[in-house]
Order: sequence, then C-alpha cells, then structure tokens
Amino acid sequence: MTTQIQENGNQIIATMSGRLDTAAAIPTTEAVKPLLEASNKQIILDCEKLEYISSSGLRIFLSIRKEAAAHSSKVIVRNINADIRQVFVMTGFISLFEIQ
Amino acid sequence: MESLDLHSEFILEQYREALPVVSRLKEIVLSTLRDAINKNGLIVTAIDARVKTEQSLAGKLALKGQKYHDLSDITDILGARIITFYTDDVDRIAAMAEQLFDIDWDNSVDKRRLHQLDSFGYNSLHYICRLPESLYRDPEQPQLNRIRFELQLRTTLQHAWAAINHDTGYKSGVEIPREYMRQMNRLAGMLELADDEFSRIRTELNDYRRRVQQLVQNGKLDDVMLDGDAFRSYLQARPLDKLNKRIAAINQAEIQEVSLVHYLSILCDLGCKTLGDVNRLITDNTEDAYRLARHQLGNTDLDIISSAVGLQNVCIVSILKQGEGKKGLVRMFDALNGQTPQNELLADLTYTQAAALPFMKEHN
Repeated sequence: MTTQIQENGNQIIATMSGRLDTAAAIPTTEAVKPLLEASNKQIILDCEKLEYISSSGLRIFLSIRKEAAAHSSKVIVRNINADIRQVFVMTGFISLFEIQ
Repeated sequence: MESLDLHSEFILEQYREALPVVSRLKEIVLSTLRDAINKNGLIVTAIDARVKTEQSLAGKLALKGQKYHDLSDITDILGARIITFYTDDVDRIAAMAEQLFDIDWDNSVDKRRLHQLDSFGYNSLHYICRLPESLYRDPEQPQLNRIRFELQLRTTLQHAWAAINHDTGYKSGVEIPREYMRQMNRLAGMLELADDEFSRIRTELNDYRRRVQQLVQNGKLDDVMLDGDAFRSYLQARPLDKLNKRIAAINQAEIQEVSLVHYLSILCDLGCKTLGDVNRLITDNTEDAYRLARHQLGNTDLDIISSAVGLQNVCIVSILKQGEGKKGLVRMFDALNGQTPQNELLADLTYTQAAALPFMKEHN
C-alpha cells in the first residue's frame, strides 16, 4: 500500500494504491498527516489504484474528513472501484463524502 | 492637513497623549462585547471598533473645534459598531450594552426614533458609554474608566444604507440635491420595511418550530407536514437508534454519527407527506432493513457503520417494495451522492443482494 501526496495550488492530491487493510493502516495514517493539517484546501483522495478498504481504512478517511472540516478544507473521493463504493453504501457512509 | 488654531492644537496634543490608553480601551470593549454576544447566543454580522485617526480628528476640529472644551468632550475618539441581521437584535444588544457599560443618556441617541411620521433616513442606535470599574479596573490607567466611547448598533440593511449614503461625500442633509435625497429616503423607507419583514418572518418561523416540536413531543406525527424543520425535530427523538444498534451488533461495530437530512428528499419521493408517514415507513420496513444489513455486512469484518445506515436500508427496502426496482435505487443514490454513472452499478449490486431476501420474493 502506498500513498503519494502532491500539492498543486489550492489542491492536495493523495494518490492511494494497493490494499488499505489493517496492516496498511499505520503507515497510511502517517502518510496522510499533511492532509490533516491542510487549511482551506481541496483534498482529493484519488483511489483509482486502491483495490480494497477495511474498517481501518474507513476510519482514516473519516479522520481526514473530520480534520478537513475543522480546517475549512473539503474532501473529494475520486475514482473508487465498485467494491469500495459498495463498502461505503453498506456502512452508510455514501452520503458523507463527495464521491466523484 | 489644515492649520489649526491653538485651542484645537491643544486638543490634538491631548489626543496623542491619550492614544495608548484609548487603544487599550478598544481591545477591552471589543472583547467584552464579543464575550457577551457569544454568551447570549446572538449571531451578528460584524463587531468592530476603531480609534479615530489624527487626520480625522483634525478635520473635525477644523470644522467645530470651538465646540469642545477639551478632548473629553469628544465622544467618538473610540467608536465600536455592532451590525445585526435583525432589528429585534439591535434592541437585545442595546439591553446587553446597558448592563455592561455606564450609559451617558444625555448624549446617547436613538436615530430610529427621531424621524417624523413621514420621513425616512439614517437609522441607528448610538450609545455613549463608559467602562465601569466593576467590569474592568486598572489602577495604573484610571482613564480607562473615564474616557467615553460611542457604540453604534444597526442592522445590516441600515448599515448598507448608511455606508452608501456616506459614500456620496455629503456630510449633511442640507447639502444633498433634493431629488437625490428623495431617492435615498425612499430606499431607507423600503429597507425599514424589509427589516421589519425579516424580523416578522423569523418570529413566525420560530413559532412554527415550537409548534412542530410540541406536536412531535405529543406524538401527533400525522399533524406535522414533512419539511426540513419537522424532519429535524423528529430525528431529535432518535427514531432509528434501535435499528442502528441492531445493525451495529452484526459485527460489533461502532456507530459514527452523521447527518440524516439528505434523506428528506428521498422520503418525499417515497410519498411521505407527514411525519406520521415517515414513522410508518420506518416501522413497516425496519425488520427487512435489518435483514438487508445482515445480508450485506454479515460476510464482512466491517466494524464501523454510520448512523445513516438504518434509514438508508429502510429507504432501499421501501423503494423495492413499491416496485421502483433498480431505477428507484439509482434515484436514491443520485440524491445521496450526486449523479454519477457508478450509481447504476451500485443499484445493480444492491438489487442483487436484496433479491435474496424474503420481502423481495413476497413483492415479486
């Protein structure tokens, strides 16, 4: 699991690849720290190469969203595959994120 | 800068000496006002304060310096201003200011009450105040309690009118061309009416919310039409807690609280017209909504769910029971998540999962 962060003007794009499972949660939490401190930014979680998300991964997404709201930033989840989208539905989080 | 006479120069010198204490007074007044407004739960458009600049004071002295004996006669060296949304709030904040500060009533003026029956124009409440020792005292700077300052209170619309009128550069009504003055006064009358209407609408909305809350508390849900306020009042009774807890128990999951207001339009689409309809929809579909969640989550190790999952599943079940099929599900996901081609795929997946449940067999 890798997370690459790229800042582009008002946007911060986090490109996530691989399986965001329990084992990957700790390094991913560390990798997304710059997102938690971003103020007045559009945070894009690009999940085109994200294959799987567990509860631990959902918690990371939720903490990014919570911190973004506190720092007047906005989170957009982009390019999630059908399985991950289904996870968002089954857990009732589909309306919480702007998913593109 | 114009040259001033000796008397005005003397006042200007007093001003320069007083500047540090006036600046400190400004900070104390501002923080006192902000704290009191927050404490009283009031929402205002702006709170600000300014210390009169030397240039502005010199201009004033050049015009009417002989009117003032010394600096203490000038009451707007420090000016604070609070701009409110509603006229009622001007009066509430005025009452608050009366409690906080010592008001110099002889020099305070309510411009709102000065107009003749047939005239309209500048509307604002001006209080001349002093900081009482009971509120703030510094033995090193007793002037803090002696310097008078001006507090202006007005609504956003009154402020817009005053700011635009000021922008014309005319200092007094006498200077203004008659036709222009008539047009400005016409606008002042219209804004006064708009201010009163905004206050009236707020009062009526608050009355409506109280009535709705009362009806919800008394269980008279069929008497409450479904709208945003009614739905929020209904949700305060947490009608979905039991279902969400059952769903959470499937995987011993934690429940994250999220807003359910997105579901209002879906409930309306499902034909709910009153809170009674919503309540029946939930009650009638709770068991199948739980079964759907168990079917979806039972084979996963997902141990976190949102508090929306119960209502979401109630809506899915209801859509399918009404025979809306995949198209109905796509509409629901569009409403929740914005229109995207992937919602078709989600609707397919959800439909396939639900198809295995008994309620689908009964309704097919």
